[in-house]
Amino acid sequence: MTPDRELLLTLTRRHFFGRTATGLGAAALASLLPKSAQAAGGLEGLPHFAPKAKRVILLHQSGGPSQLDTFDYKPGLSKHRGIDLPDSVRMGQRITGMTSGQSTLPVAPSNFSFQRYGETGTWVSELLPHTAKIVDDLAIIKTMHTEAINHDPAITFFQSGFQQPGRPSMGAWVSYGLGSENENLPSFIVLLSQAHALNTDQPLFSRLWGSGFLPSSHQGVKLRAGADPVLFLNDPPGIEQDTRRSMLDAIERLNRLKHRAFGDPEIESRIAQYEMAYRMQTSVPDLVDLGQEPESTFANYGPESRKPGTYAANCLLARRLAERGVRFIQLYHRGWDQHNDLPRDLRLQCAGTDQPTAALVADLKQRGLLDETLVVWGGEFGRTVYCQGRLTETNYGRDHHPRNFVMWAAGGGIKAGARVGETDEFSYNVTADPVHVHDLQATILHCLGIDHKRLTYKFQGRHFRLTDVHGKLIKPILA
Amino acid sequence: MLRLTFLSIAGAAVLAGAPGVDFNREIRPILSDKCFHCHGPDAATRMANLRLDTEEGARAVIEAGNSGKSRLFARISHEKRPLRMPPPTSGLNLTDAQVATLKRWIDEGAKWDEHWAYRAPKRPALPVVKAKAWPRTPVDQFILARLEREGLKPAKEAPRETLIRRLSFDLTGLPPTPAEVAAFVNDRAAGAYERLVDRLLASPHYGERMAMEWLDLARYADTHGFHIDSHRDMWPWRDWVIRAFNGNQPFDQFTVGQLAGDLLPGATLDQRIASGFNRNHMINFEGGAIPEEYQTEYVVDRVDTTATVWMGLTMGCARCHDHKYDPISQKDFYRFGAFFNTVSEEGLDGRYGNAKPFLPLPDDAQQRRMDEIDARLKARSAELDYELLELLLRLWHDERFHRTPASPVEGLRAWYELDGNLSDTSGRFLHGRLLTGDIAYGAAPVRNGANFDSATVAEFPAAALDVSQPFSVSLWVRAGRQQGQPLLQQLDLSGAGPKGFELAIVTPRTLPRLRRGHPIEVRLLGGEPGRSLIVRSRGYVFIQNSSHHIALAGDGSGRAAGLRLYVDGKPVEIETVEDALPAGFRVEAPVTIGAARPGPPFKGRVDDLRFYNRPLSEAEVERLAVHYPVEVILATPGKRNREAAGILRDYFLKYEAPEYFRTAYTELLALRERRIDLVEEIPTAMVMDEMEEPRDTYLLGRGDYTQKVEKVTPGVPAMLPPLPASAPANRLTLARWLASAEHPLTARVAVNRYWQMLFGHGIVKTSEDFGSQGEPPVHSELLDWLAVEFVESGWDVKALLRLIVSSAAYRQRSQVTPALYERDPENRLLARGPRQRLPAEMIRDNALAASGLLVKTIGGPSVRPYQPPGLWEELAFGEAFTAQEYEQDHGDKLYRRAMYTFWKRTAPPASLVTFDAPDREKCVSRRAVTNTPLQALATLNDPTYVEAARHLAARVLSEPAARTSDARLRHAFQLVMARPPQPQELRILREALAHQTAVYRRSPDAAAKLLGVGEKPAGEAMEAPLLAAWTNVCTILLNLDETVTKE
Repeated sequence: MTPDRELLLTLTRRHFFGRTATGLGAAALASLLPKSAQAAGGLEGLPHFAPKAKRVILLHQSGGPSQLDTFDYKPGLSKHRGIDLPDSVRMGQRITGMTSGQSTLPVAPSNFSFQRYGETGTWVSELLPHTAKIVDDLAIIKTMHTEAINHDPAITFFQSGFQQPGRPSMGAWVSYGLGSENENLPSFIVLLSQAHALNTDQPLFSRLWGSGFLPSSHQGVKLRAGADPVLFLNDPPGIEQDTRRSMLDAIERLNRLKHRAFGDPEIESRIAQYEMAYRMQTSVPDLVDLGQEPESTFANYGPESRKPGTYAANCLLARRLAERGVRFIQLYHRGWDQHNDLPRDLRLQCAGTDQPTAALVADLKQRGLLDETLVVWGGEFGRTVYCQGRLTETNYGRDHHPRNFVMWAAGGGIKAGARVGETDEFSYNVTADPVHVHDLQATILHCLGIDHKRLTYKFQGRHFRLTDVHGKLIKPILA
Repeated sequence: MLRLTFLSIAGAAVLAGAPGVDFNREIRPILSDKCFHCHGPDAATRMANLRLDTEEGARAVIEAGNSGKSRLFARISHEKRPLRMPPPTSGLNLTDAQVATLKRWIDEGAKWDEHWAYRAPKRPALPVVKAKAWPRTPVDQFILARLEREGLKPAKEAPRETLIRRLSFDLTGLPPTPAEVAAFVNDRAAGAYERLVDRLLASPHYGERMAMEWLDLARYADTHGFHIDSHRDMWPWRDWVIRAFNGNQPFDQFTVGQLAGDLLPGATLDQRIASGFNRNHMINFEGGAIPEEYQTEYVVDRVDTTATVWMGLTMGCARCHDHKYDPISQKDFYRFGAFFNTVSEEGLDGRYGNAKPFLPLPDDAQQRRMDEIDARLKARSAELDYELLELLLRLWHDERFHRTPASPVEGLRAWYELDGNLSDTSGRFLHGRLLTGDIAYGAAPVRNGANFDSATVAEFPAAALDVSQPFSVSLWVRAGRQQGQPLLQQLDLSGAGPKGFELAIVTPRTLPRLRRGHPIEVRLLGGEPGRSLIVRSRGYVFIQNSSHHIALAGDGSGRAAGLRLYVDGKPVEIETVEDALPAGFRVEAPVTIGAARPGPPFKGRVDDLRFYNRPLSEAEVERLAVHYPVEVILATPGKRNREAAGILRDYFLKYEAPEYFRTAYTELLALRERRIDLVEEIPTAMVMDEMEEPRDTYLLGRGDYTQKVEKVTPGVPAMLPPLPASAPANRLTLARWLASAEHPLTARVAVNRYWQMLFGHGIVKTSEDFGSQGEPPVHSELLDWLAVEFVESGWDVKALLRLIVSSAAYRQRSQVTPALYERDPENRLLARGPRQRLPAEMIRDNALAASGLLVKTIGGPSVRPYQPPGLWEELAFGEAFTAQEYEQDHGDKLYRRAMYTFWKRTAPPASLVTFDAPDREKCVSRRAVTNTPLQALATLNDPTYVEAARHLAARVLSEPAARTSDARLRHAFQLVMARPPQPQELRILREALAHQTAVYRRSPDAAAKLLGVGEKPAGEAMEAPLLAAWTNVCTILLNLDETVTKE
C-alpha cells in the first residue's frame, strides 16, 4: 500500500458518499468498483483470486488447551509415567520460568480415555464428545508450533504475526483488505467469554483485535452481553426512537448547510456515518435478539446458549453474524491455562465449550453456510507432557508448550477430514509436517482469496504484512 | 487501473516541484521502494552484487544521458514480464509513469544526490513571488512561490471567529469563550492577531496542549501494558512535560533532559524526573517469562522511540538485519542500543507499581512524616542492646526447652495433628480417611501439615463435631486464591436442601500492599432457604498465601449471638447475614475437607485440626494460635532453621523479654508498619540511571536475545555526524549530539511535527520516517528554512509556533471548491486553510468547556471518568493486582481534561480510542483520522456528552442576558462553535427546539429520565420538559461536523 493508494481509498469513500464529486475520477470509480467494495471500502484488486470462504470465525481458546488431553493421543505414555522427561526429547529447549526451577520434569500421561470417531477414525478424548461427532468435517493439524513460550507474546503473535505489540490483528488486516459485506454492521466483530475453569485465567488485551498501524476504523468492535451490545449503541433514557430520528434529521440538515458552504467531502462522509449509526441501532439489537431462535437451537448449542456472554451464546451469535455477512468474527474464550488441577479445570473448560463449538459447525453446515465460512479452533500454544507441580494419580498440571499443539479448521476452502502432522511419543516434538503460526495465517488469508504476500501496508518505510516475511500455505488442508 | 492512474497523477502533481527531474524528490523514492529490498544497503540479501542505493553502485548499470544504453532501463522496461524488474516474485511493480520518470532522469544526465535528510539544512534564500502583498512571514513566500508555480491562488483570510477558534484549539486545545471571541472580533487596533497569539502562548493550558502530542510520542500510559497490565505512576513525568512547555524550555534542553537528565552534572529533581521519558515503554512481569527477553525489548523500544522522535529514523528495521532502505546496519542498531542498556532495571518488574529504578517524590508533609519515623526508628533500634538480647534469648530458650507444649485438652472430641496421617490423637480413635486424591505432608506452623490439592477430599467421623451443642473448631489454614468455597463442611444432603455446617472463605478484595483478603463465613444451614444461621467477619481477615489460625466457638444456642470467631488468636468482629436457624437443628454427617457443594473444592494447607465439645475461651484460643506452636518448636530437639529461629525471637520479644525490650520492640514493629504504609502513599516516578557495572551489549542474531553474536560499544550510524571524540560515549553525549545545531535531522523532524500539528500534515507527510522510504518534503526549502530558524532562535518552540500561526497561509479560509479538491485533496499545497477533525481529547474537552463542566486543574494523578461497566474486568487477570477493576471517580474528577484520563494500555479509554487516540503501546508520531459510525454513537450517547448537553442547556437557560429562545439558541451555538448561527441554521434549531419541546411536554416522564443522566445536577429548578428539550438541542449542536472540526 503506497501513500497514493491510501489517498485513493480515502477518495473512493469520499466520492462514493459525495454529491459534489465530478469529473473523470468519480465516473471511473462508480463504474469500476463492485458495489460491495464501494460500500465497505475494501482494497482495489482484492480479493486477489476467487475466494473459497467469504468470512472467518476464529474460536480462540485463550490460555493454551492441552493437546495431550484432547486430540494428540499418546497411549504409549503410560509406561513413562513419572519418569523425568528424557534430555533426548527436550533437546535443551527453553522452558518457562515456572517450571525451569523444578528438580524434575515428570511425564504425566493423560488421565482421560480416547476413542476413534467417524469415518476418519480420529482419536478424540472423552472430554470432547460433541466435537467427536463432527470430526469428519474437521481438518486437524497436530503440529502447530509457535515461537513464544508465554501468553502475552504468544497470543499477540497468533493474532498479529508478531510477538511484540504494534502490528494489526488478523481481523483488522482482513477488514482492511476486503471490507464488509454488510453496510449495517462492522466488518470485524469480537466476542469475549469468561473461563469455566476455576483457577485464575489469563488476561486479554485490546491489541489482540487492534488495528496497529492500520486506520483505527479496522479495529475489532466488541459485541458485549448486556444493554449496550456495541458501546454507546442505545439512546440515553428518555429519548424515543422518533425523537432521536428528528435530532438526526436536524444534524443532517445543519451538516448539509455546512457542506454547501465548505465543500469538504469529509462532511458528506460524516452524514453517512450518522446514518449508519442509526441503522446499527436497529441491526445490532436484531442481531443479538436470540428470542427469534427456535427451541431446537438452544437444545443444539446447549443450555448456556440462553445466557448472554457465555461461550455458547457467543457461538450462536457467531452463526448469526455469519448469516449477516460479517467478515471476521473472533471469539475469545478464557481459562485454558492449566498449570495445575488440569483434570478438574480442563474438564470444566471442555464441558463449557465442546457442545456449542460442535453445534456451530453443524449449524453452519445445515444452513449451507459452512462452505463459505472458515471456522478455526485452537489456542496460542499447547501444553507440556511433563507435570508442573506435583504429579499424583488423580492430579497434574502442564506448563506452556510452543513446540507442537493442535488446531482444527473447517468449512470454506478446507478439506474435511484432512489430518496434518506427526509428533513424537511424548507429544513434545514435531516429527513430520510442522505448521507454523504464519502458515496458518497465510492459509486463512488464502481461503479468503488473499495472497498473504500481497496484502501489505507501508508503515515506517516498510511494507508490512500479517505473516511478516514468512508463511506458506498448509496445502494438505486445502480443498 | 484507471483509478490508479488518475490518482498517481494527482499525487505526483503535488509532490513534483521545479521542472527537470529532482533526484531526491522523484527518483530515490522509486529506487528505494521498488529496488532497495534486493539492491540496497543490506549486503546479506543483495542480489546480483548490484546496489542502487549508492551512486557508485548505480553507475554500473546507468549510462548517463542515454536510457537506451542503460541496463537499468532495459531491465525495468523489458517486454517479457519474467525478465522485467522488479521480478514478479517480489510482489512489486513499476507503473508506466515511474518507468517514464526514470527514463527521463537518465536522459537528463542521471544526476545523483545524497539523501536530502542526512545533509545538514542550510537557510535557503526566500523565493521571489508575484503577489507581494500576500506574504505576512517568510513562510508565506515559500508557500506562495509554489502556488504561483502551480497556477493556484491562496484563499482569503478566514473570519476572526474562525481564526480564534482555530488558534485556541491549536495552542491550548480548548475552545475560546464567547467573551474572548467578542474581544478579538472587536479589537480593531493593529496587532490584534499577534496579541491573541501571545495570550494563548502564555496560557497555562498551552503546556497541556503541547504535552498531548508529546504523550503519544513518549508512549505515556498509566499501566505497564504487558500481560497483567497493572498500575504505574508516570504522571509526575507528564506534569514535568507540561511545565517544561509552559516555561518554553528550549527544545535542545528539553531533549537532553529527557534522554539524559539524570547524567547532567548536579542534576536537579526535575531533570531526573525528565529522564523518565525512556521509562514510559511497556514493562512485563508475566509469570514464567524470561527476564533477559524483556530487558532486551525495553532497550529495543528505547532505540525505536528515540530514533523516531528525534531523527525520524526507522532504526527498528535494523534489529534483525541491516536496514533494507537506509544506511543503518544491524550493528548500528545495537551500538545505538548500547546507550540505553545500562539502566539498573530488571527484565521482569512492576508488580507493585513503578519498576526500578524510580524516585520517591514525597511532598513536604510526607517528607516530614518520613523523617520523623526514621528518627524514631533509629532511636528505638539504638535502645535495643542486641548482645544482651541474644543472651537473654538463649537463657530463655534453654530454660523452656524441656517444658511440654501445652494446649487445651478438656472437652477435646478429636485432634488431627496432620503431621503425616489423618489419625485422631485425642484417644477417641475418630480417625480421618482419604476419600479421593492424596495429601502431601509438609512443613506447617505445628510441625507438619496436610496439603490438599483440588482432587483431595478427606473425611472425619461424624462424632468429631456436633454444632447443635456447645462446640469449638480450631485449625491452621494457608490457601491461595479462594472463590467462596467451603473450607470445612459437615453436610447432610438427604433432605430438600443442604443441612449442616460450613466454614468458608468468601469474596476477596485487594488490600494495601497488594494483599488479597477474604472475609470468613460461618454457615449453619437449616435445610431450607431462609432457615439458616450465617455470620461473616467484618474484616478481610483471611489473607491469601499467609498462614492463619482460625477458631470458632459456639455455645450451642443456634443463634448468631452465640458464635465467636477468632483469627490468629484474636476475636474478630462479625456481622450477621441470617439468624433463622430452626429449633432442634442437628446434623449427623461426617466432616469433610475438599468436598465441593457445589463449586470449587478447597485447596491449600491445613494443620492441627481440633474439635471440642465446649466453647474455648479467648485465652485458650490465644494459646492454640500463639503459644502452643512456639512451645512445639522450643521442645523440638535439633538445629532450628532460620524461619523457626525468627519465630522464636519474635515471640520472645513480644511475650517473654523484659518489659523494656517488649515496649521498644512493639513500637519498632508499629513504626515499621507505618513506614511501609507511608512509602506506599508517596508517589514515585520511574527514571533513568546508570548501573555501577554496566551490562555488555551484543549484536543479537535475528534480533533474538539468545543469539549473542558480537559485543558492541555505543555509537551512531556513519551517515550522521560523528560523536565528539572528546566526550565519553554515553547517553548524555548522545543527547547533546542529537540536540546540536549540526545534527541534520533533529530540528527538521521537530519543526515538521509542529507543522503537522497545525496543518494536519507535515511538510514531510511521513513525520515518523525521514529515510528513503519516507515521503520527500512537499516544500523542502521551507522545511530547511524553518529548521535553521528554529535552531538559530535557540530552539524556541513558542517562537516557532508564533511564526507559523502568524503566516498568511495559516490564516486562510478552509473552504474548498471541487476543482481545488480534485487538484489537492489533502491540502498539501495550502491553497486553503487547514480543516481537520479535532483530536479525540479536544472533542471531549470542547463539550465539557462549552457546557461549563470542565475542571481546569492542571496535572496530578490520572482520573477515571464515566466508562461503560466491565471494560477492564472482561479482559483483566483480576486477583491481587492493581488496575484490574475500574472504579469510577466522582465529582470534579469526572470533568478533567481528557489527557488526564487513566490510560490502561490493554483497555484504553473507549470514547477516546473511538476517535483514533492510540493505545500508547508504542511511539506514535501521527494519528490516523477516521470517520466512523461508532464516533457518532459516542457523541450522541456517551453519558459524558449527554451530561454536557444537559449542562449546556441549563447554562443557556439561566443566562440572564438571553431571554428569548432565539437569544438562547445563539448563545448555545456561540459556546459550541465560537460564532453566531446563520439565519438558516437558527431556523433549523428553532424547529428542532419546538419539536423537542412538544415531545417532552407530552411525556414529562421521559424528560425526567433524560435529565437523570450524569452525576452533576444542573437546572433542577427549571421546568423538566423544557430542560430536556434544550438538552436535545444541545446534543444536536455537540454532534455537528463543525463542532468536532477545526476549520
